[in-house]
Amino acid sequence: MTPLALVRAEIRKLTTTKLAWGFLAVLVVIAGLNAAIVAFGTDMGGSKAFIATAADQQSLMSFAFNAMLGTALFGAIAAAREYGHATVVPTFLTTPRRHRAVLAQLTAVAGFGAALALVGQALVVAGVAIALHSTSYGFLVSITALTQLLATTTLAGAVGAVLGAGLGVVIRNVGGAVTAVVLVLFVVPPLTAQLLADAGTWIPTSLFAVISGASTDVALWAALLGIAAWALIPAGAGLLAVERRDVV
Amino acid sequence: MLPLTIDHITKHYGKDVVVDDLTFTVEPARVTCFLGPNGAGKSTTMKVLLDLATADHGRCTIGGLRYRDLPDPARTVGVVLEPNAFHPARSGRNHLRTIADGAGIGRPRIEHVLDAVGLTHAADRHVGGYSLGMRQRLGLAAALLGDPPVLVLDEPGNGLDPQGIRWLRDLLRERAASGGTVFVSSHLLAEVEQLADDVVVINHGQLVTTGALASLQRSGTTVRTTAPERLTQILERAGATVHRGRDGELVVRGMPIDEIGDRAHSARIALHELAAQAGSLEELFLDWTSTGDGTAGDGTAGEGTADGGTADEGTASDAPAAEETHTDREAVLL
Repeated sequence: MTPLALVRAEIRKLTTTKLAWGFLAVLVVIAGLNAAIVAFGTDMGGSKAFIATAADQQSLMSFAFNAMLGTALFGAIAAAREYGHATVVPTFLTTPRRHRAVLAQLTAVAGFGAALALVGQALVVAGVAIALHSTSYGFLVSITALTQLLATTTLAGAVGAVLGAGLGVVIRNVGGAVTAVVLVLFVVPPLTAQLLADAGTWIPTSLFAVISGASTDVALWAALLGIAAWALIPAGAGLLAVERRDVV
Repeated sequence: MLPLTIDHITKHYGKDVVVDDLTFTVEPARVTCFLGPNGAGKSTTMKVLLDLATADHGRCTIGGLRYRDLPDPARTVGVVLEPNAFHPARSGRNHLRTIADGAGIGRPRIEHVLDAVGLTHAADRHVGGYSLGMRQRLGLAAALLGDPPVLVLDEPGNGLDPQGIRWLRDLLRERAASGGTVFVSSHLLAEVEQLADDVVVINHGQLVTTGALASLQRSGTTVRTTAPERLTQILERAGATVHRGRDGELVVRGMPIDEIGDRAHSARIALHELAAQAGSLEELFLDWTSTGDGTAGDGTAGEGTADGGTADEGTASDAPAAEETHTDREAVLL
């Protein structure tokens, strides 16, 4: 029962159902939509000014928040279904120190979330790059900016997956966990930003803007800590809950 | 040799007391069957033993250690607990691989247990397409993955065909014969009768009786009389359990045979037969778990015999009327 063995078991769980493939299919669709917007979309004046500059193109390709939302749903489903199907029972029989099993699960979904987000971002970039050939504009985003974009989205994928899995462990019901993810990422941030002064700086979209270099509202390290908190708070709640509650 | 010890455990769910100060021991090298009506607290007891649920009071150990303190749980205890603890879209082989990966068990062992439970041919099919019997076999395969010396199985025979039941019985007997500890809950009383060395009976979370099945079965007395109703009242008032047998005879438990004769004599009731009886487990089960209102179990049956005492020490439950007993029997069999 080494930590590596537990992570391997969790990766096995994720690779032996179609969940990850389903999310990958969604990413392909999103990339296709982005490419279609570039190829066929126009702004209000009928021009393609929205892809005229490197900043415009980078903004169009920015996928971090979408990745966080998508992988949060992935993590929530991956964790909560364990309880729905009672497959958590053999897991906790093998690893009765339950926090170790949950840590392994969080590690596995973080890895999967990061990979899914990276693939999604790469597909979006590739789709936009290909679609730009059908326009009079070239691909203007620099390698440095592109690398930053990919890194930010990969981080967003890992953060989202851990956030979702933490909620899934706490709620233990797929429908409830998915609802919680939507509430946490869509309802809580704007509500908090409206209610508390300066809170808008700490919502995921603002933090990803800082991490990707599009904003300087806070220092990079502060943004990294802030986004980590979005994942670690629900993960911590999940670790506490799993030790305190009966499994079945 | 790893005994299982249930030591004064109590478990509440909300205001309901599901397990109530339960104490007994499951000895190694024996097959111990865990009996009780639906809702008696058997599964909860097993979950507490396996640290899947936390007792409000008391402590359970396996070879002196709590489950969570076992150095290698998967190689120590094999468990069948939830009948459908599978992801339906995962294949049987992959289900076992997820468990084996976490426990550090190699692929050859997976193939071995699949072969042992007769699932090799269906190992790559999705579990969602398995029959109940196939799922039960997969659960047993998972329990056997670590080749553990202790087996804790909740209704393992459900859904198995006769060949499967026979295979399971042979497996469990073989495990016990080699010094293993086998703790099995079951409603298949005929099967329990063939399988069990010892039984533990609970009702409403309380211990009703425990001991060697053979000695418990010898604890009844058959009585034939011309005044069965009056004698039943007298014996029940004195604490015995009385019900009508198939041929109208009285079957009395919880009272020595000579005392039954003495009480009948004192009441001037003529006896036509007074004989020690080897009762069926089904009859015993109904005696242990039935109540005067015809429903299963009031939990007030006699003192538990956690020390492995005889049935005389622990079978004084409230006796149902004969007709009610038969109704209960049908309900259990269904």
